Amino acid sequence: MDKVPATKSAKQTSSKEKSNKEKFREISVAEFFAKNKELAGFANPTRALYQTVRELVENSLDATDTHLILPEIVIRIVNRPELSGSNGSEQRFTVIVEDNGIGVPPTVMANAFGRVLFSSKYVIRQTRGMYGLGVKAAVLYGQATAGQPLKVVSATKGSSYSYMKELFIDMKKNEPRIVSEGQWRRRGSWHGTRVAITLMGDWRRAKNRILEYIKRTAIIAPYAEIIFETPDGEIYYFPRLTRKLPRPPREAKPHPHGIDLEHFKIIIKESKAKTLLELLVQEFQSVGEKTARAFLKKIGVNPNLNPKKLLRKENEELLRSIVDEMKKFEGFKPPRSDYLSPLGEDLIKLGLKRLFEPEWVEAVTRPPRAFEGNPFIVEIGMAYGGKIPPMNEPLLLRYANKIPLLYEEKEDISWKVLSSINWKLYLINFPAPLVVLVHIASTKVPYKGVGKESISEIPELEQEIKNGIQEVARRLRAYISRKMKEAETLRRITTLAKYIPEIARSLAILSKPPEKWSLPSPDEEKLIMDKMAELIATRVPTARGSDGKTQTIKAIRSIVESARTE
Amino acid sequence: MSGIPLDKVDLEARKRAAKILHEKFRKILEDILSGKAPKLEIPKRTLANTIFDKERGILVLGEQKLEREFLDMGEARRFMQTLLMASIIYQALIENEYPTIRDLYYRGKHTIIYKDPSGRTRQENTWDEQAESDSVIRDIEVFTGLLREDMLILSKEKGKVVGNLKIRSGGDVIDLSKMGHGAYSIESTPDLIDFIDWDAEFVLVVEKDAVFQQLHRVGFWRKYKAILITGAGQPDRATRRFVRRLNEELKLPVYILTDSDPYGFYIYSVYKVGSIQLSYESERLATPSAKFLGVSMTDIFGWGRKKPYLTETERRNYIIKATDADIKRAKELMKYSWFRSPGWQRELKIFLEKKAKLEIEALASKGLKFLAFKYIPEKIETGDWIE
Repeated sequence: MDKVPATKSAKQTSSKEKSNKEKFREISVAEFFAKNKELAGFANPTRALYQTVRELVENSLDATDTHLILPEIVIRIVNRPELSGSNGSEQRFTVIVEDNGIGVPPTVMANAFGRVLFSSKYVIRQTRGMYGLGVKAAVLYGQATAGQPLKVVSATKGSSYSYMKELFIDMKKNEPRIVSEGQWRRRGSWHGTRVAITLMGDWRRAKNRILEYIKRTAIIAPYAEIIFETPDGEIYYFPRLTRKLPRPPREAKPHPHGIDLEHFKIIIKESKAKTLLELLVQEFQSVGEKTARAFLKKIGVNPNLNPKKLLRKENEELLRSIVDEMKKFEGFKPPRSDYLSPLGEDLIKLGLKRLFEPEWVEAVTRPPRAFEGNPFIVEIGMAYGGKIPPMNEPLLLRYANKIPLLYEEKEDISWKVLSSINWKLYLINFPAPLVVLVHIASTKVPYKGVGKESISEIPELEQEIKNGIQEVARRLRAYISRKMKEAETLRRITTLAKYIPEIARSLAILSKPPEKWSLPSPDEEKLIMDKMAELIATRVPTARGSDGKTQTIKAIRSIVESARTE
Repeated sequence: MSGIPLDKVDLEARKRAAKILHEKFRKILEDILSGKAPKLEIPKRTLANTIFDKERGILVLGEQKLEREFLDMGEARRFMQTLLMASIIYQALIENEYPTIRDLYYRGKHTIIYKDPSGRTRQENTWDEQAESDSVIRDIEVFTGLLREDMLILSKEKGKVVGNLKIRSGGDVIDLSKMGHGAYSIESTPDLIDFIDWDAEFVLVVEKDAVFQQLHRVGFWRKYKAILITGAGQPDRATRRFVRRLNEELKLPVYILTDSDPYGFYIYSVYKVGSIQLSYESERLATPSAKFLGVSMTDIFGWGRKKPYLTETERRNYIIKATDADIKRAKELMKYSWFRSPGWQRELKIFLEKKAKLEIEALASKGLKFLAFKYIPEKIETGDWIE
């Protein structure tokens, strides 16, 4: 997909790639997407409905928590029978998502929703949407299947007006075609965006997925308030559990290990650096002057070379070798991770607690690592017992940059790692009530496809996920082990205590001398029972500390008191 | 039952048993009250702890003891059962009752209902099968050194006796030669019997009740001055104690007649040396001088110069093929030290070789008169028995 926008600037492409590009020159990016719906996750009406909700919700979250706004998101799916065909499966729905985000300025509104393009800014940042394509794919799908324009209303924080636009995307020209627009004085203090897209969908089939998606979003964003109204008139409400927001991601320059040829060319083109040395220091992270000199010396390239010269056709090979060497050079510091936005252990635990009501929950945010110049942080959450039903395998919740991943589970790296864990080592025997959450935060999530549903098997990532799962699982083992010991103590106590009344009665009888025989009194039996309870409490080792004995006597008493014979 | 005038012998026995029970179990209570973990030290009733005392010719319990600790998870239930059973027996002794082992089973069988720590209500019976409570009674016997007869516990009467013998039981004098076609049932507490008068030369114990009846009707005991007894299969304790007393106190030789198979052989050994399960009471129940009169393998097949009692044709008609279980049992017997005598090893060898067995009824079929007036007297007269 990376190659698609390059068709617009085919001048600089290599001759090798040229023949490929020629084919696409005739069609616009928008057209390309319309013809390759499945690539963006719009393969069928079920998937399209799910994908539309997902794209809009993720945009809303990016417009809120990233800017330190506590998200309030309202999702509505409305049945549109007047637009639907007679065939039941070809129903039309309008998906409306409203947020309290930063809003879209009126000047960029039309292009933001009506032109398929990549961001030209070559800074990197951990965001939910990777390609900025998702919503536009939804718009294209909507206008193709329902013939309805997108409708967007938005107000930015400082603006005194709210703006509205209804538009189509002109597929041939890849331009927004506005059908109506308006503006009015903002009422109250509302700011944010409300987007409505009408499309052909299959609610019946998509319902569970969409619900699951929203639930999982609520798990990972317990600081958000989410309301979801279904076409069946049901309302799902996920109240805000905390006002604590995760640290927002920050923009960063690329790391030299994560660069590719195309990317490097654009950097050179847009940089104001006069020399190659300057370029390296100014446009990349983790590269100081000393490091840059050392690098250029090693590869034997003149530091004072004007970088623009590298764009000339005769320097193609040199440019390529610089990029290759940059990837290999070990003198650069590892990529910075402080602008990644992990959720944090508290938020993960909070989210898991709400949805599963487990008896035990733990989470860990692993230290940052990097692959190919991209920093990443793995976070693992685990919930056990309580209201979680026993399952034959752990329930896996996958997230990437706070997006729940629902499809293609078995192809995901997390699944692979999870399947390799020997749970018996952690005292878990399936079926067991176990939920495992894996969150990967990175400036570049290595998805397997554009559908953004599964993550590739990157060795560094795999190792981190494994370390994280093992770390939390060890804590779970400690918990289960303590619980087992307590259960064992209680089992022992019960085994003994239930016989106390019977033994006390028997001993009371036997202790009466034959020559002065009378039936023993309840008090005599009571004394023996108390002594026996104390004996058990003293002699049976307890899992608890010093208060163990008092606890144990209490437990014994309650067993003894509950015991009766028939 | 209290208020009914009791036999003096009976009352003395009660007093003694109650006192021992009280003393033994009071120690358990003292341990508990002083914070010590209570335990019962009980001699082990296992084959490994069963010793054949060659000098006395009986099976006795070895030195091994088991400690039944209340705090031991695996023993707690049995500990409770032992105390429960002891208290029931104790109370019955004091209140002048005569419980049977079945009564004790029912009296002690309660359902304990309790709540486990998770709050779930659970149930457990103090014991389920009578075998369980019977076994507890045996534990109390070895723990206290009191036999259940000493504790006035009754069981189903199984043994029968006829012969020239007068006894006193419960204040009545009974003439065992005047029982008509019937017989006197040997009571559960044979130690409470007094022998008053007798005119007998030997005791004949037959394994099977049917053969007992036949010999009784044909006048066997009158003709040969015998006391005729049957234990009707595996003998109960009362029958064994009764036989022992006849041997010990009246100095009468005891002959035993069983089927010719490993089970018959073992029944003989129970009279003679005691049983593995009840080896603790052998001292009072076993009759070490008891002789195995027949039916022996050599009676059937002959041996050396001894001629068989059966002809070839009779053998063909009466002999039964041994089962796998019979063979297995015979092999076990060969290993028991009390079957090591040459006579028994020969019997078992012939059995294993011929893989054949014979029931006593077969000899009666050959002719009751043959059994009563030829086979038995001839064998006694010629000393053709095994010890």
